Amino acid sequence: MFKKLLIAGVSAGALMLGSGGVSAIAAPGPIVFGVQAPITGPYADEGQGIENGVKLLAEQQNAKGGLLGRQIEVKVCDDEGKAAQAAICARQLVDDHAVAVIGTYTSGAALAAEPIYARAGVIQTSDGTSNELLKRGYATWFGNAPTNSAEAKFTAHYMVDVRHFKSIAVLTDHSSFATGLADSVEKDIKAAHGHIVDKAFINAGSQNFTPVLTKLKSMHPDAVYFSGYYSDGGLIRAQMVQLGMKAVFVGGDANQNVAFGKIAGTAAQGAIIINVPAPQDLPYPAAKEFLAAYQAKYHVAPPSIYTFTNADGMRAVMQAIETTKSLKPAKLEHYLHHMKNFQGLTGNFTWNEHGKRVGSPFTAFEVQADGSYKIVYPAPSAG
Amino acid sequence: MGTFIQQVINGLTVGSIYALIALGYTMVYGVMRLINFAHGDLCILGAFVGLTMLSGAIGGGHPGPALVFLAFVASIVVISGAGIALELIAYRPLRKADKLAAVVSALGASMLIENGIMLVWGPEVQVFPAGLLPATTWHFAGASISFVEVVIVLASVVLMAALYLFVNHTRFGTAIRAAAIDQDAARLMGINVNRVIGSVFIIGPALGAVGGLFIGLYYREAYFTMGWTYGLYAFIAAILGGIGNIPGAMIGGLLLGLFNAFAAGYISSSWQDAITFALLIGILLVRPSGILGERVAEKV
Amino acid sequence: MGKLSKATAIGAVLWVLCLALPAFLSSAWVSIAAIFAIYAIVALSQDVVLGRAGMYDMGHAVYFGIGAYATGILNVEFGWPILATLPVAIVAAAIVGAVFAAPIIRLRGDYLLVATIGLNAIFVLAMQNNLAGITGGSDGIPGLGVPSLFGLQIESQNGLFWFDWVFLGLVLLLMRNLDRCELGRALHYLKQDELASGTLGVDARKTKIIAFALGAALAGLAGTLFAVQISTVSPSSFVFTESVTLFAIVIVGGQGSISGVLLGTVLMFVVPQIFRGFADYRYFVFGIAMVAVMVLRPQGLWPRARLRAKAGARVSAGAGVSR
Repeated sequence: MFKKLLIAGVSAGALMLGSGGVSAIAAPGPIVFGVQAPITGPYADEGQGIENGVKLLAEQQNAKGGLLGRQIEVKVCDDEGKAAQAAICARQLVDDHAVAVIGTYTSGAALAAEPIYARAGVIQTSDGTSNELLKRGYATWFGNAPTNSAEAKFTAHYMVDVRHFKSIAVLTDHSSFATGLADSVEKDIKAAHGHIVDKAFINAGSQNFTPVLTKLKSMHPDAVYFSGYYSDGGLIRAQMVQLGMKAVFVGGDANQNVAFGKIAGTAAQGAIIINVPAPQDLPYPAAKEFLAAYQAKYHVAPPSIYTFTNADGMRAVMQAIETTKSLKPAKLEHYLHHMKNFQGLTGNFTWNEHGKRVGSPFTAFEVQADGSYKIVYPAPSAG
Repeated sequence: MGTFIQQVINGLTVGSIYALIALGYTMVYGVMRLINFAHGDLCILGAFVGLTMLSGAIGGGHPGPALVFLAFVASIVVISGAGIALELIAYRPLRKADKLAAVVSALGASMLIENGIMLVWGPEVQVFPAGLLPATTWHFAGASISFVEVVIVLASVVLMAALYLFVNHTRFGTAIRAAAIDQDAARLMGINVNRVIGSVFIIGPALGAVGGLFIGLYYREAYFTMGWTYGLYAFIAAILGGIGNIPGAMIGGLLLGLFNAFAAGYISSSWQDAITFALLIGILLVRPSGILGERVAEKV
Repeated sequence: MGKLSKATAIGAVLWVLCLALPAFLSSAWVSIAAIFAIYAIVALSQDVVLGRAGMYDMGHAVYFGIGAYATGILNVEFGWPILATLPVAIVAAAIVGAVFAAPIIRLRGDYLLVATIGLNAIFVLAMQNNLAGITGGSDGIPGLGVPSLFGLQIESQNGLFWFDWVFLGLVLLLMRNLDRCELGRALHYLKQDELASGTLGVDARKTKIIAFALGAALAGLAGTLFAVQISTVSPSSFVFTESVTLFAIVIVGGQGSISGVLLGTVLMFVVPQIFRGFADYRYFVFGIAMVAVMVLRPQGLWPRARLRAKAGARVSAGAGVSR
């Protein structure tokens, strides 16, 4: 009897040591990762991409024995890209005892959820790029996409200093992401003494962009910069060529999608897209493996780079849990704020004290005749 | 000048598509006094059906133009069928009820079709294959017009003229007009009103399917939420021309296309939609029954 | 008013029972219940315009938005306390409602519907374009404070729940009394037969504008509550599709029926929350359900009971009350 007790005690102690003492207080069972994403509505493809990516990572990790010896369970909440639903989702996932929540896609939904996660001590890692997300100083916030300001600086530098465009037209849709990026790019182009001939708007999804492009054509810009999404960007490029515009198309990061080239067709050739390197162009095996595994599992390409940045958010949190052997929010936040050079699928990066992603190697790609990308700046050998 | 001509071309192309879709709204409204909010989604469903024909195994060996023709036929057949089913299931039981019940039923049907497309074809942007139609573009006077644009404008004009002749110069067309004026009186005159309503739910969706597939062939992309955008514009076009009025829908579509182009090109692209809607409200206030007046029958 | 009717008494008891909900619900469901109260107020306000006055308003999210923006702008940019912004939100929404309504109410049924859709589109675009530099553009206005009462901050979700439900209670009381007051009766006759109502001395135009302003004012009140609940005001919360949902709530529930509108709000807002697990199938099934409800019960799930004889007795009985 005594012997049995002793064995039980020793093994329990060993378990406690092995798991850093956490399991002694945390309920046994899986570790919950939340996904807050737009599964329905106009951003459904992006939301479902985030969900797929997270589930894939969880599956891979569980096959390796899980985290701290526990399996990962993924709980998904559809926020429809709406603020009110996002607030409900946040409370739902907090109630589900999520350690961390991956997503969401839109800044507006991320903003509405942010204070709720912060009060509950749940880590939130989203691709939201609005500056407002950083302003409130919540320790639980970790933006996994490079901020607009970093991308805008690179874009302005590339267009004004590298390509020496004399006159630039800026085009955006009305989304919070695209207008934010367009505003930053406009500001940085002016700071770099570039000349902006016009800033114009499209209605995302209206497909009929020839009126505004015809107007821009009459202004003879050297380049048209578009900060919105690929589904519109591909069409803008096609319609520019059809109207006989000679201006170079420069697209923001949301234009990087396989569909861009397909929609624009032969017109895609020569278009420039600015983003962190595409996964297939990265030297890291992890990125290639992830892409291959994603396509093998879902038989479809990830909708965009944000599937990867959100996956990076989750990988970072998993690394934090494994390294600190803890699920305590304060410990994990401390680790994430101070980790040096996290090897992401989308490049190496760190987080500053506001949860802002720092160190994003932007590149300019040129779309080739066969639809593939060629890095044109910085020169591949240098980068 | 080149810019102006170009804006006219831009406006006419997209306006033709609005007009084709607007006809569906206007015919249904003319006969049933019902805003068929699911119509835009039906049209986009037409684009997706066409896409499956164009890129699926079915179309494997056919040359481009023949395949495009097949796609139109398939799309028209499927969408007309869907239109009839919609009428039978969602609207017919509500014919005697408060008209708002039918409006909400239409909204439900719209949600059902939109999300059905997402479930079948996926939430991502679907791209139409390239090279099905000649990529020729003509340049003149500083403007340019492509083969597809010419096809869209011509085909729309032909279809609309055919519809106009059908409604005004055939016995069945007369029945449609009679039912539009007064269903009960039409019934007393021996007109099968159910057949008239059925026909309206074949013709409208069929034209919408053509419009939807034109969208796909012209812009070469389709996604499941597009129905709302086009539906709303086409609906405005129908109202502009005078709802229930067939020539009105055509003129409303073309005017809306032109007006959109001029608003974006010459006034302000950031306020484009606001300008369009302000014009719409203005026209409603000055001429509440639209430019050509409402209802088919009384005016022709 | 005489003694309480049975329906009112049951309603009051239910409302009191609901106040105890936070004791039984998880925090997510407390917030759903809180937002339910807010949407219920907007839906009731939509019903004033649509169900009671019979004006096809498919842009009601505008007034909801004006209330939210008034609170957001005054609180974040001018530092007003939340409760002080409330009257401004209500009055601003009412004024905008009356100003918009004045020219367009003479439009007949479907044309009014189109005009209100247009107003909604213009409103959203104006907010996105950062009108006058104070609406915050597409991001909207984040970081609203919480209301404080007698120096006490209402911060917790439970606190906000009670805050919202108190207002819901007040609005329900108001709606109940609307049925019995002169305006309510005028609206009723107007809806049944505009021509006949004129012979009863109802000024159609004035009554309609007042109804529009009242509906907008209540929506503005809900806007303030909404802004506080999610602490962010952004254009996407007030787009056309939100107006469509409000419109559908009234029709699905039952026009002019308080219990119908509440039931409609449960079906259109609370039920989808339960089926979150179905994620991508959710709205497909929802669409089918909407069609089915309308086909099976075109008058709505819980239609308005006929006006009580007592309430209608003061005006002539021959005013065509029956449908």
